[in-house]
Amino acid sequence: MDDDGAAHWAIRRDAGPLSPDEQRELDAWLAADERREGALLRAEAALVYIARDPALIDAESDPAAPDEEAQAPARFGRRHFLAGGAAAVAAGVAGILLMPSGQEFSTTVGEVRRLPLADGSVATVNTASRIAVALEPERRHITLEEGEAWFQVAHDAHRPFVVDIGSVRVRAVGTAFSVRRNPEGVDVLVTEGVVETWIEGQETSRTRIAQGERSFVATGTQAIVAVKAADEIERALAWRDGGLALNGEPLSYAVAELNRYNHRKLVVEDPVLARMPIVGYFRTNEPGDFARAVAPLIGARVEMRSGDMHLVATGA
Amino acid sequence: MGQSRAEIIAWVAGNVIPHEAALRARLRRMAVAGEEIDDIVQETYLNIARLKSVAHIRDGRGYLFTAARMVMLQRIRRNRIVRIDHLTDTQALALEDDAPGPERHVAARRELARVRRMIEDLPPRCREIFELRRVEGVSQREIAERLDLPEHTIEQQAIRGLKLILKAITTEDRATADPSETRHTAVKGTSGNG
Repeated sequence: MDDDGAAHWAIRRDAGPLSPDEQRELDAWLAADERREGALLRAEAALVYIARDPALIDAESDPAAPDEEAQAPARFGRRHFLAGGAAAVAAGVAGILLMPSGQEFSTTVGEVRRLPLADGSVATVNTASRIAVALEPERRHITLEEGEAWFQVAHDAHRPFVVDIGSVRVRAVGTAFSVRRNPEGVDVLVTEGVVETWIEGQETSRTRIAQGERSFVATGTQAIVAVKAADEIERALAWRDGGLALNGEPLSYAVAELNRYNHRKLVVEDPVLARMPIVGYFRTNEPGDFARAVAPLIGARVEMRSGDMHLVATGA
Repeated sequence: MGQSRAEIIAWVAGNVIPHEAALRARLRRMAVAGEEIDDIVQETYLNIARLKSVAHIRDGRGYLFTAARMVMLQRIRRNRIVRIDHLTDTQALALEDDAPGPERHVAARRELARVRRMIEDLPPRCREIFELRRVEGVSQREIAERLDLPEHTIEQQAIRGLKLILKAITTEDRATADPSETRHTAVKGTSGNG
């Protein structure tokens, strides 16, 4: 680390504008070793760090939180749940019009829709998904034909809330959970309360999944196992706020996820790049931002080819 | 699209500098040599310096760890690691933030205490200059007048103080130690998403 030079230039710049001579001197210092640019940034940031109003640190750690709507449900607590339920109840009459029982509903690519159901429950439906709702007197029956949805279930002990996802069944009384259907299987995440799950035809063998747990039911499997996954759940459900939260998943996964939301596709053909682990929070509807943020970190550049964005290794 | 350099510096100050010590601690636990850690950290800052904008990055700490991991991988590929030749790609990929999620966000109060301690630990003259300049916003020239010292001396003292701060941000003191330091046995969820 060239702390001496970096500290020198950071202090000089902080004292006031550099003279042309000083600027030339600084340019020469920077040019002598490319890494000095990083050392100077660090020194200048350290100066700001020790001077900044510490009360702002927390608020600013979320610089890109773009609007209230995106921030509001970041953490889903009981209060939100009750508020959501009450809002849905208040909209009950309209809700019936919006979502009549026995009707199908689908979202297009990139669309995330909050769907109040007539019983006070709310289904938040992710991109390119399709659900069918049948609110019968003895039970509330949802079918996830495709995609992903998160359900905040209004409590009604006499009318179980059952979601069919292929051969997998998830039953809730009053709780919040999400299900995602993909070719490999079904992912169940529980954000509140407890659900029961089973495979079609095996009603006697039920597995309970509690708040903070998830279960991935691989296609064709006979056993459902719940695992603890508290932090992962919040990350996996970032889509509710239009976000994709990554914590070291490979680039190939990130790209596949973002492509669920956009017509303009990201493409990674290089197998080495595809395995690069990515960390960060990205907007699902801004694949270009994602590509530009990630490319310099993994030694890649972005190339536009017939409308798609290709991440290509920069002559490694 | 692009952001000013001042905006990027402010973002690094608030979102990266507070976590540098945790990154270094993590690298030390991976048995990376001290000089190598310095190089990795410096190259990581270089990569951040080259970003046109940081507006889309919400998790500075996560970004710092990822950027460092990329640097490490590149260094291994370029064979620039001499001191730890046993380090493999797999190990570099294992460089991840093992602090429990909710504790990754440095609490403002803890961070404030850390900053205060850094300033308190400076030699008296450095400290006086820093408090005038950084906290009260007095110009270097005015500090020189107030303390009746040549401006050049004030500058030298400020440089000396900043070097000490640059050293201080590399380590966590006990009171502000990162949870990942003491709780690195915490099991990280491994059931991947895809």
